[in-house]
Amino acid sequence: MFRRLAISFVISVAAMNAMARTRPHYGGTLHVEIAGDAWERPAGVARRLVYDGLTQFDTNGTLRPALALTWEQDNNFHRWQFRLRPGVRFHDGSPMTSAAIVSSLTASCSANCPWDTVKAVGPLVIFSNDSPMTNLPALLASDQFLIALTANGDGRSPASAVGTGPFQVTGFNNGVLALAANETCWSGRAFADGIEIRVHRAVRDQWLDLSLGRADVVEVPAEQLRLAQQQHLSVIQSPPIVLLALQLGESGMLANVKARGAIAAAVDRGALYNVIFQKQGEVTASLLPQKMSGYSFLFSTERDLNRAHQLRGGLATGAITMSAEGDGAMQLAAQRIALNLHEAGFNVQMAAAGTQHADLVLRQFLIAGSDCGAAMERILWDAGLPASVADKTSEDLYKRELSILDNHRIVPLLDLPRGYAIGARLRDVHLRADGSPDLSSASLEDVR
Amino acid sequence: MSLRQRLLLLFSLTVAAAVAAVSWTVLLRIRQVFEQRDQDETALFVSQFQREFQHRSADVASAIDRIASQERVRNMAFELVQSGDTAPFLNEAQTLAQDARLDFLEIVGPDGGIVSSAQWPARFGYQEPASKATTQTPFLKREELPDGSTALGLFSVQAIHGSEPAVKLVGGVRMDQGFLADIPAAPGMQVGLYSEAQAEQAGTGNASGFDAKNFVGPDGAVPSGIKYAGLIEKARRSGHQESGVLHLTSQRDESVAATAIPLKSSAGGVLAVLTVAISRNALVAEQKQIRGIAYGVAGGGILLAIIFSLWIAARVSRPVEELARAAEEVASGRWDARVPVRGSDEVSVLAESFNHMTEQLETQRESLVQSERVAAWRELARRLAHELKNPLFPLQLTVENLARARQLPPAEFDEVFNESTHTLSMEIGNLKKIIGRFSDFSKMPKPELERVDAKDLVARVRNLYAAGSEDGPRVDVVTELEDAPMPMMVDPELLHRALSNLVLNAKDAMPDGGTVRIAARNRESKVEIRVSDTGQGLTPEECERLFTPYYTTKQHGTGLGLAIVQSVVADHAGTISVESREGQGATFVITLPRADA
Repeated sequence: MFRRLAISFVISVAAMNAMARTRPHYGGTLHVEIAGDAWERPAGVARRLVYDGLTQFDTNGTLRPALALTWEQDNNFHRWQFRLRPGVRFHDGSPMTSAAIVSSLTASCSANCPWDTVKAVGPLVIFSNDSPMTNLPALLASDQFLIALTANGDGRSPASAVGTGPFQVTGFNNGVLALAANETCWSGRAFADGIEIRVHRAVRDQWLDLSLGRADVVEVPAEQLRLAQQQHLSVIQSPPIVLLALQLGESGMLANVKARGAIAAAVDRGALYNVIFQKQGEVTASLLPQKMSGYSFLFSTERDLNRAHQLRGGLATGAITMSAEGDGAMQLAAQRIALNLHEAGFNVQMAAAGTQHADLVLRQFLIAGSDCGAAMERILWDAGLPASVADKTSEDLYKRELSILDNHRIVPLLDLPRGYAIGARLRDVHLRADGSPDLSSASLEDVR
Repeated sequence: MSLRQRLLLLFSLTVAAAVAAVSWTVLLRIRQVFEQRDQDETALFVSQFQREFQHRSADVASAIDRIASQERVRNMAFELVQSGDTAPFLNEAQTLAQDARLDFLEIVGPDGGIVSSAQWPARFGYQEPASKATTQTPFLKREELPDGSTALGLFSVQAIHGSEPAVKLVGGVRMDQGFLADIPAAPGMQVGLYSEAQAEQAGTGNASGFDAKNFVGPDGAVPSGIKYAGLIEKARRSGHQESGVLHLTSQRDESVAATAIPLKSSAGGVLAVLTVAISRNALVAEQKQIRGIAYGVAGGGILLAIIFSLWIAARVSRPVEELARAAEEVASGRWDARVPVRGSDEVSVLAESFNHMTEQLETQRESLVQSERVAAWRELARRLAHELKNPLFPLQLTVENLARARQLPPAEFDEVFNESTHTLSMEIGNLKKIIGRFSDFSKMPKPELERVDAKDLVARVRNLYAAGSEDGPRVDVVTELEDAPMPMMVDPELLHRALSNLVLNAKDAMPDGGTVRIAARNRESKVEIRVSDTGQGLTPEECERLFTPYYTTKQHGTGLGLAIVQSVVADHAGTISVESREGQGATFVITLPRADA
């Protein structure tokens, strides 16, 4: 009897403990380490912790309301009207108004906005454009159009980043950005009390800190996903939502579409995929991945050096500058592409990382959402080739994409995933549609 | 050039030549000594470089060998061969190179393709020709880099131990200024390494032009590197060590004695050129010093030469000059010129002899003059006696005849008396004429000058004598006169007399007839009048004595005519001379000053 009671007691306690572990707890500080800057675009890890957009994508890529509750278009997509969510306040306590929204949006795309005018009318934000803005709501979900407070009550710019997100900035010291939970966040209070983001930390050191328990979330670049798995890190990775593409200028030698075509034909995607990115993601020659569009396979990914020579023909050779956004694998990939182009007879000179206005720029574009037209439009917008993509059928989208790619201003190379390694004490971490970790819903297991 | 100047020049040249010869010899020797020293130092540095090169080569080879024997690397090679998947090893070379402190390292698969490259990670998959090297001896290679540049390196190739087929390691270290800094160089020595940024064009051996940025020393870019371009190019082309003197700046003491040593790849091509330059500062300073001393000595020597020559001049050349001046004075007629006698050397003996000679000459001239005077007086007395005797004899006979005729009847006495008185008058007239001529000669009148044209003078004389005499041989008088005016400031009467005298003499010289030619012409600032005959001519002795008073070649003559002519001509500041050869007539030439226009 006593034995039965003891056994039952032990079983009950164990069950209670198990139940306790499945429930998230409030409190604790998350330690995040990244190699870059917390605010860099696209998808700097702090951006979506501090800011919200008018709209957002869920984990399935479906567009959802955020700071805007509803939206409707008018005049054949020439006009959009967004109704704001009431009761939302900025981190400094000031109310989120349509005027503040307009001010933030205007600041985020000062010269080149996807709309002609944006104005605040009561709880509404109204966008107008001479051209149809078919995918404006999806576009507003992008990293570029997150809403930040641009002027506080006395008209001055805030000292630090002020948004409406689940975390607010409390300080930045010794390379560590400190965030505290927003107690009055419209989307609910985060589980963690705070997040410390250590920036400019080498990946190797991040992994070391993770293994030592000094970090809870660290980056795993696409080319190191296999290695991370080999080292038995707890890795979460997104689908291939990052398009690695070569963006071409159209000045100088590149003003000739044949020259651009020769460059596109000369690139060896296989070497990039197999070696540099360690067979992560997918080789692609289209803007949208196969899973999304269904027609990606129609774009050939094979290298054709003969065709490259043919297209290049007797074009005058001059030096072409090339740069890559980011470091590590991006720089290596750019150097590899430069070698490929050298074989095709191009004289490519590598410029410093982040050089503006290089002839060729190796970039990453986020493939956001599940809507093909919106995603394509978003990519084109980020590439500086704004266009309204209203096509909806696969056939129309294919033709549209074909016409865009035949101009060779953008050469898709790979679709890559984004990945992070998480610590043992972290729970319920998942990646957003843009591949960034959603830490607002994460909790620490060792907090009671 | 005077003797003094010659002496000065001679002494100065002697001193300067001696100093120059000595200086040149010393400079040459010093240069040889320094050049030998430079060569020795260069050879020493080159041997040090070669030793260092060998040490580095051994270091590289052993480093590669250590890597090749690592367990980790062998496992990598095994996996590589088994799986054929090179992707996992993309960054291996970088890690291994860092650990082994190599500047270059590549892992090359069995197919010769690069698996991983530390210096150019993006080059995976490309072929690495160096992996096919069969020798394990380290070698020089120029490695291409991602930024388009190339770097010179010392490489070694080693197969990873136990890998079959062989997976190789190709690794090395840079040969750059750090390498040079490790080699000790002597003070004043500048070493440099030139390696071209661009690879040589295949097969042509032509490389891009000299780029000073690719010429580095232990401390960075070699100063004035462009000055080495010619020597480096020469060494590069010939493939052999080349030497030369380079002037790095316009200052001579900043020149260097440079040697360029080509560094070759295993295939024999020149990949880089090592230069060793030793400053010639010390040599130039020594040369400057020696030149300074030489100039000083030469200057002092020349100064001494001047002083010495002045002293010599005082001792030697001055007496000689005095002698020369005195000789000129004697030549010009001042026979009383004397030179001072100083000392008792040869020059003073010469001066004494000169003085004695001039004394003798003066004495003898006086004697000669006296003798000539005596002779002239004797001649005058003889002529006078001769001239006077002629008329006196008939005078004496007539008076004697008259005395005898007193005895005769009055009629015969009257006849004799008349004849005698006639004879007496004639001979007394002759006497008076003779005495008149002597008187004329003794007191020639002073010329009264007028502006007269020579043509008029000659014409007057021609007119006077052209008619000739009715009896006697025919003598033609012809004139040759220049058309241009021949003005003279002369006494026309005296000159007429002189010309008349010459014409008469010419006639007398042609007893069988002939032609007297009177010519007049301008000769620069003179007027020349020539009176020629076609007589027998004169001997040289006769020519010499022609103008001597009382000398005559005629049987009857006073011998004063030509003396009078000469006196008249001399009074008009002219000259008279005679040109004649025996049997070819004689020509008297009178030259008178031409009157200004």
